Amino acid sequence: MISVSHLTRTFGSLRALDDVSFEVARGEVVGFLGPNGAGKTTAMRILTGYLPATAGSARVAGFDVLTQSLEVRRRIGYLPEAVPLYREHRVSEMLEFQARLHALPRRERAARIARVLEQVGLADRRRDLVGNLSRGLRQRAGLAVALLPDPEVLILDEPTSGLDPIQRLEVRALIQALRAEHTVLLSSHILPEIEAVCPRVIIVDQGRIRADGTPDELVTRLAGASHVRLEALVGPDAEGARRALGALRGVRAVHDRGRLGIHHAFDVVCDEDLREDVGALAAARRWALRELSWRRPTLEQLFARIALGAGDDGTLLEPGGSARTPAAPSAAAGAPVALSLAPAAGPPSGPAAPPASAPVSSPQAARVVYNLNPFDRGATRSLSVPKAVEEPGAGPDGAAGR
Amino acid sequence: MSGFLAIARRELAGLFVGPLAWALLSIALLLQGWLFVLYLRTSGGDVDLSLRFALGESWAFWALLILVPPLLTMRMISEESRTGLLEFLLTAPVSDAAVVAGKFAAATLFLALLWATALVYALTTAGLGVPPDWGALLGGWLGAVACSALFVAVGLFASALTSTPIVAAFAAVILNLVFVTAPLLGGLSDQPAVRRAVARIDVIDHHKSAFLAGVLDSSYLIFFVAWTLFFLFLAVRAVEARRWR
Repeated sequence: MISVSHLTRTFGSLRALDDVSFEVARGEVVGFLGPNGAGKTTAMRILTGYLPATAGSARVAGFDVLTQSLEVRRRIGYLPEAVPLYREHRVSEMLEFQARLHALPRRERAARIARVLEQVGLADRRRDLVGNLSRGLRQRAGLAVALLPDPEVLILDEPTSGLDPIQRLEVRALIQALRAEHTVLLSSHILPEIEAVCPRVIIVDQGRIRADGTPDELVTRLAGASHVRLEALVGPDAEGARRALGALRGVRAVHDRGRLGIHHAFDVVCDEDLREDVGALAAARRWALRELSWRRPTLEQLFARIALGAGDDGTLLEPGGSARTPAAPSAAAGAPVALSLAPAAGPPSGPAAPPASAPVSSPQAARVVYNLNPFDRGATRSLSVPKAVEEPGAGPDGAAGR
Repeated sequence: MSGFLAIARRELAGLFVGPLAWALLSIALLLQGWLFVLYLRTSGGDVDLSLRFALGESWAFWALLILVPPLLTMRMISEESRTGLLEFLLTAPVSDAAVVAGKFAAATLFLALLWATALVYALTTAGLGVPPDWGALLGGWLGAVACSALFVAVGLFASALTSTPIVAAFAAVILNLVFVTAPLLGGLSDQPAVRRAVARIDVIDHHKSAFLAGVLDSSYLIFFVAWTLFFLFLAVRAVEARRWR
């Protein structure tokens, strides 16, 4: 339905889009994800024929957006981010104007207008002036305008920005309802949004596509493995417990996270949710459980890393590859203990633990502690300044995985 | 075509739901009506002469013609580019030319209505027993509409150049002033080349010597049509150029 190849667009010296290629099949709902200024809007404007591309080409419904622009525009419903509507007109008048622009048959107009108003929940507001609508209602009116010609492709630029949580849920539900009839390309920088609505996500940053796939796929492929967190009373033989966990089927590694009070914490790295197996083992061994949870990296963490530039050299895209060597823990020159997004690699264990399974670490942020004890190292230390802590022997584990 | 009609219709509706159109109409009516009475008094009751004054012979007519079209057109493109409505229109299945033409038609129609108010005076005097020269009146009205169309096209071009309505209005007024005052300045020169060049843009003379006299001369009509199309073409280009910026 949408096919984009090697699209590039420059504004002066700024490359808003840089060699972007992707395809969207009929009936797909694709989320365009990226920080502000990533090129989402530019890409959408090119697809709608508003902006010409500097290089490359794009086709919508088989028509070239540059040379067959009118054909393309007949087939798309576009909701720009600013939600442009004539403030001085009523909602119904705005929709009638759109119907005339799209040359809808006169007989169908009233019925279609009533239907889209019903769809977006504005049926009782049809006589209101657009200028008097609240932000959320205006957003819905804009959506109604985009939907009116029953377009094959819907292009929605930040359809939920400025909405309150309830309205957001409603718009989300609406988009999900539209999936049956339309191909939808929507952009957002709100992650839960995209995760909830879009079976497929394209992450763009600085004009380039960083990742493309289902949220699950992306998370597994890009952010490293997930793990089961176990905190239990395992007795004195922690090493034995670790080995027992490592012997479970499907476990790739077990990291000992050390003692937490009387409990001991383990991260059982695995691809699937092994909570039942771990739980069964714990029951068999009579370990008193304090926590048993399935933890996986979120799209949000992945996105943050891409947006923060960790993937700039492309190394992040390699599954399991270490983009940067994690900062050496604590010991080196009294350096602050590193805090990593992903659990830091523990000692490799078990036969199924290849060294490459060490999760990727993001640029390391220093761990700092605000110590308010005035007698710590003399009272002259400014208490408003964090001090670096040295944790001899503790390793990074104390900070990681929380 | 349907897109052009839809846009023209919306622009007209947009004009009349706002206060600007009504304010302009009432000011123009007041001024013209007051002046018409004044002309009648000073000309000793010559209805035809007074109508000629109202439709082109007086300074008030030209002042309105210089100021009103820019006020109508200043928002039409520049403000829409700022609010994003232009993005909406340019991604609708309508060509850029249809967008500009629709706006042009709406503004010109509004001004045609404004000049048709002279008809009110003519009907009044006719009702009082002094029928005017209807042919001359119609010619004068057509000429006024032709002048308005040209200035609307100029205004749209200016509006397409900038995102600030007031700047657009200013630029349009200055361009209109060039058209109207060029013959005055050209008259200062005794170079025949300068006089010929000035004659090519002399709007006042083209209006007065044909339309206002009740003569429908195609060469005079073409003068207006050509200049109008030229500025409309520039306006369409300016709208297209926005896409590249």
